[in-house]
Amino acid sequence: MITKREIHSWLENEPVFDDIMCSLRAAPRLPKGMVKEARKVIAIARKFNQEIVVPYALDLDQTLQRDPEYLAWDLVQKAGEWGFYTMWLPKIAGGKGYSLPTLSYFLEEIGSKCLAIANLIGVHYLGVSTLFATWDTRLINEVLWDVSDGEKAGDPRLISLAITEPGAGTDVEEVDLLDQGTVACHAKKVDGGYVVNGTKVFISNGHLSKWHMLVAYCDLKHPAETTIVFAVKTGMDGFTFGRKEHKMGQKGCPASELIFKDCFIPREYAVASDHTANVKRSYRETVAQYIDYVVSTSRAGVAAMGVGVARGAFETALEFAVNTTVDGKLLVNHEWVQCLLAEMYKNVSMGRLTYVETNYANGLEGMFKILQYKPVYYLVKLMHMSVAEKIIKPILGHPIVNRLFLKLQLDLQTDAEIQRTSGWASLAKFACTDLGVKNCQMGVEIMGQAGLRHDQRIEKMLRDAKLLQIYEGTNQLNRVNLFKSLIGRAYPNANVFAHE
Amino acid sequence: MSIVKEKELKLFEKAASEFAKKQLAPNREENDNYPYGPFFESVVQKAFEVDFFHITLPEALGGMDQGMHALSVVLTNICSEDCSLGGIIFTNAAAQQLLLLADCAGKLEQIATAETVNDFLIGWPVFNNPSEITPRVHAKKVNEGYTLHGTLEYMVLGGIAGHGLVPAAIDDQDDQKAYSFFLVNLSQNGIVKSDPVLSLGLHACPAVDMTFDATPAELIGNAGKGAVYFNQLADRFQVAAAAMSVGIVQGAFKEAFDYSRKRFQGGQAIINWSEVKMMLADMAVKLKNAEMILTTATHAVDDQTPGWPAASRAAALHIQEMACDLTSDGIQVLGGVGYMKDFGQEKRFRDAKHIQALLGIAPLKKIKYIETLMV
Repeated sequence: MITKREIHSWLENEPVFDDIMCSLRAAPRLPKGMVKEARKVIAIARKFNQEIVVPYALDLDQTLQRDPEYLAWDLVQKAGEWGFYTMWLPKIAGGKGYSLPTLSYFLEEIGSKCLAIANLIGVHYLGVSTLFATWDTRLINEVLWDVSDGEKAGDPRLISLAITEPGAGTDVEEVDLLDQGTVACHAKKVDGGYVVNGTKVFISNGHLSKWHMLVAYCDLKHPAETTIVFAVKTGMDGFTFGRKEHKMGQKGCPASELIFKDCFIPREYAVASDHTANVKRSYRETVAQYIDYVVSTSRAGVAAMGVGVARGAFETALEFAVNTTVDGKLLVNHEWVQCLLAEMYKNVSMGRLTYVETNYANGLEGMFKILQYKPVYYLVKLMHMSVAEKIIKPILGHPIVNRLFLKLQLDLQTDAEIQRTSGWASLAKFACTDLGVKNCQMGVEIMGQAGLRHDQRIEKMLRDAKLLQIYEGTNQLNRVNLFKSLIGRAYPNANVFAHE
Repeated sequence: MSIVKEKELKLFEKAASEFAKKQLAPNREENDNYPYGPFFESVVQKAFEVDFFHITLPEALGGMDQGMHALSVVLTNICSEDCSLGGIIFTNAAAQQLLLLADCAGKLEQIATAETVNDFLIGWPVFNNPSEITPRVHAKKVNEGYTLHGTLEYMVLGGIAGHGLVPAAIDDQDDQKAYSFFLVNLSQNGIVKSDPVLSLGLHACPAVDMTFDATPAELIGNAGKGAVYFNQLADRFQVAAAAMSVGIVQGAFKEAFDYSRKRFQGGQAIINWSEVKMMLADMAVKLKNAEMILTTATHAVDDQTPGWPAASRAAALHIQEMACDLTSDGIQVLGGVGYMKDFGQEKRFRDAKHIQALLGIAPLKKIKYIETLMV
């Protein structure tokens, strides 16, 4: 009836089978242990919500309305005590080795009660992803073991990502825009390292982090060709914190200004073009791949937070509806309310499907791939910490291991795989965060006057949710990226980011 | 519209616009800090002095005797800079109207002659349709008067106004659904006021929860007729609520439009990216339509043209809902800075959603709208 070649050919037609069946393709390859892990992580998150987040979230928000300069060190400490800063670090880097997709389930749970707290924990892993995506195993080793040691010592050492600049927000998320933009954070090569000058803004967790993955450029006129990533530690000479932004919501997670003035950064904390000299793609293409690599995971996390807040709004409105009499009968017994609640439930469920699909894409073809390969998964899972520290840690620092990882991660990822992970991440990001805001709006409407009050929680959810549509690339940028990744690629005459 | 009337409206527009730019815009962020910063008492005092609280008050009571069009013009211009003062003007004007609808001009006259703005203001739970909520405050008949008992949530201006209008069910008189309005001197004993309620928007249009313990109160109008007065009021004042939303939308569009011409990304002003252009076009079209709808609706209310209550309610439902989405786009055009308090967009986003709940639960107002057409 049909030959193998025909099957292949038909499935390559749009919509490409591999694009639309990530979960089906992933299911047989998934280690069974991931289900057990997911159950455990969600249970831990729910326990943390009940014991810490719910009693604390409103107070934290109110404290920051009273004093916008307040920094939630107590919360940072508490999350550290629960082990959340190393929970998703691989054991070979001193972590607890939970698989990365479970981070998004965790973020949905925490986000359903407080997005600020979810982001405070989640954005640490944006820093981790940025570090990981360098595949500089020596640097990864040093920084992540420091994070791990800090947690054991009761001294949380978070990692932030410092990329956004006053003149460049959307521009730094896309290589195609980068060279047309106005970036200003400059790295000058000097003996033994680099001297950095510039300012980064809106850096989530900036003031609270010990490490900062800083993105700078050696040639400001050609930033895409000269991008350089640094691991900078708080306290380095020439690096200071500037203002803390006064945000509408997500107040517990600060947005910080980071100022670099003649800041010398030693060579060993820099990942520059020479690091990827042996990979098959050009440096510009590698920078694009690097950005996609990071945002394909981080956007799944933001999408999960969007679903979280959509769920929080749904649960809050439902709770209100079953306990409030309106027009002589329980609100929940008004048919229009039942339909609105059903719509909100649908939004949550549809959103979850999209971010989970993105996880599958990342597991098949993105950052999660190596660690979800069954032999590696179980090897890492069952490995004793002492083995990781005494044997794996020194090996990871070796240049040959470093090159091997680079080859495995960068060269083996095809263009179609980059497009798939990036496209799905963008789709999930804007779909889930849009419906997060939508559910909050619906919840506020259902609750009427009560919905306006801080003590009823839902107004905070709405304020918090709005930020999700902006960070990790505005939802407008993510729409264009979806078009670029999974739609426009089939049409050679379709251009994106071209001046009109 | 007569030429005289048109000139009058122009004057209102000019006065409100200048007031908003001079008195509200410069301190928007600071004023919004309330209750964690000072209340903008001096601004409210100035608004009182220029008679923004007297617009719809009858001339015989010392007011300007204007209609909803004039009130809407003022509210639109005020709210384009800061909706909190608009909330105070709206709440007070609606309370005055309730007293008039209940045929209590005499009581209103006593209040309207007050020398200080606080004594002049009348608070009431303007974000509730009292028919919708239970349990309510209840009133006991004591000799020739009444006493109030129970807790009232979200009494707007309750912490600053000299008087308040309280919906309450009279024991042994009002049936399960009926209620009556009572006028209460808020400075008397027997009232416990909470701290200002921290809320989504309109921070400087403060509300408190209020507990009454045998608090003396005067019945307003006829017993059990609260819903009648409320519905008559809502017919007229929904259009004023719509005007507030139009003001917010005007401010949101202007800030987005101005910013998009100054902010560069990808080597060009962001207004030149056609997706941004499309968002701005959507905003501009919605704004223009909202302005036209508002004008039509205010004329319908003032002229009492056939079907005017429907015009007023439909305008509010449509414009308020639109404003919630548009202000979200207003933040989006600015990106990260739109979410920060340095700009006005985040406040407009909160305020737009907040005032959608004026005079009752938004979806229920829609249900009520179609029910009125079914009669």
